[in-house]
Amino acid sequence: MKRELLAAAFLLGTLSAAATADDAELKSFERGSWQQILRSHAGRPTLVHFWGVTCGPCKVELPQLGKFMKDHPGIDVVTISADLVPNLPEATQSMLQKAGLSAAENWMFSDGFADRLRFEIDPAWQGDIPRTMLIARGGAVTTIEGAAEMPELDKWAQGQAATTGSR
Amino acid sequence: MRDLRAILGAAAMAAVFTLWHGGAFAQMNHQHASEAACEETLLRCASKVTPAFAADGTLWLVWMAGGQISVASSKDDGKTFSSPVQVTRESLNLDWGPDARPKIAIDGKGRIVLAFSIFRDKAFNGQVLATQSTDGGKSFAPLRPITADNESQRFEAIALEPDGTAFAAWLDKRNRVPARQNGKPHDGAGLFFATSKDGGSTYLDAQLVADNTCECCRLGLALDGHGRPVIVFRNIFEGGVRDHAVVTFSGSASPGEVHRVSRDDWQIAACPHHGPSLSISPNGTYHVAWYTNGKARKGLFYARSTDGGKTFSNPLPVGEPSRSPSRPQVIAGPEGLVMVWKEFDGEKTEVKLMTSQDDGATWSTSRAIASTTDNSDHPLLVSDSRRVYLSWMTKADGYRFQPIERQP
Repeated sequence: MKRELLAAAFLLGTLSAAATADDAELKSFERGSWQQILRSHAGRPTLVHFWGVTCGPCKVELPQLGKFMKDHPGIDVVTISADLVPNLPEATQSMLQKAGLSAAENWMFSDGFADRLRFEIDPAWQGDIPRTMLIARGGAVTTIEGAAEMPELDKWAQGQAATTGSR
Repeated sequence: MRDLRAILGAAAMAAVFTLWHGGAFAQMNHQHASEAACEETLLRCASKVTPAFAADGTLWLVWMAGGQISVASSKDDGKTFSSPVQVTRESLNLDWGPDARPKIAIDGKGRIVLAFSIFRDKAFNGQVLATQSTDGGKSFAPLRPITADNESQRFEAIALEPDGTAFAAWLDKRNRVPARQNGKPHDGAGLFFATSKDGGSTYLDAQLVADNTCECCRLGLALDGHGRPVIVFRNIFEGGVRDHAVVTFSGSASPGEVHRVSRDDWQIAACPHHGPSLSISPNGTYHVAWYTNGKARKGLFYARSTDGGKTFSNPLPVGEPSRSPSRPQVIAGPEGLVMVWKEFDGEKTEVKLMTSQDDGATWSTSRAIASTTDNSDHPLLVSDSRRVYLSWMTKADGYRFQPIERQP
């Protein structure tokens, strides 16, 4: 049975990778996903953005992040929809697409025990969104609560680019 | 056996394929991904449960389960419940935000008033709906919007005043339209209220208490000894600081001055999804518990006011900071003050309790009174004339209603 489930998981992976370019692919954020994200982006400057479809300030910030991603191709952009009830893939995909973030690495909370997911990311985080974590090439994390100031993000991104140049 | 496995495997793959193509991402792992234990309208499947005692000692619950709002009552302190009565008939997109829940209030004559929010469109604009029962909860009137305005409303709170007036307050975004037309930004939402003189059947025109309050936190509402509404809410102070404020009404239609509860200095353009709790002692002391992540302090805090909400005591930290304390509730019960909140250690959520016998001047040490290892609703406190009870909906262990035992 285990083998068949693995096969099913593989098939799912193939299908999700084949999703059309217009649709933002949504990965299921579950237990362990956070460590997976950290591992897969280790050594690369990464912006991780937490948001939700019902959050007013998020609606304003999301398109700005779409522009940020366009302006800074050297920064990995990861979004995580952290609304406490998931189950809204269409609304999530639609907002990501409108914001120009379809090509980002997009995740959605997919565990009904959201407290535990948040705890894995940051035990001090009580669920307020938007929230942005800037992970530097060396792994140093800067957390921005609430909507980020775009000039600050640009400055950080430029700093990361400069680090590359010195290598 | 081997054949069966192959069939199951193929079926699993087919199911995954079908679901993916149906766009039903959420159903792949639905029970796991859901906040609730099951998808029916039963209490067991609820994600949010709100309790209230009637004057005759009957416990009433209103809950959200299976996409519907239902009500049931208990004559034996929650051991057994009457057959549920479903209040909603059509399928509504109920507000599932972390600080949303259906509200219930019962007057001395047994009239039951309900209110709750729905998302009424794809942009998640909210609408507050209300209904009431005059036949002891056997049936409820058709749902009515609490206000005629069509801008987004959420986070309602209701209370029944001693003269039978139904009081409702909520957060409302109607003022952002004229602001935008004038080219001005409009932060947050307005705190609005309305009253009903016919027991919650129809509400009079909505009135503004304060504009530009935080748009995504529940309100704390209580009646003082004279039956006057008092509301604690997360305000937006100058510079985008989302700290708590309190307003005391001089009558059900006359909001007084807004006072600050605490200078936490939480400057954030975000939805904290974490509103305050308010209770008022028979002697008039206000008790407030809240969450902040401000520059001045971070975590859960308690403060009290002995001058009708004009000034508050120094905030008292609540809970173990390393265990992510959240969702505080405070109640002035027949045997003193009781406060509960959640703590989480990465695996297990505990409900912690502390009590005060001197109107909040000093508090007992805290102790755990319940725990669960999966998702749970906020722990709520409710009291009858004799004692205080914990009301707590958990996904793994069902609904719990337990008396708060006096500490040894």
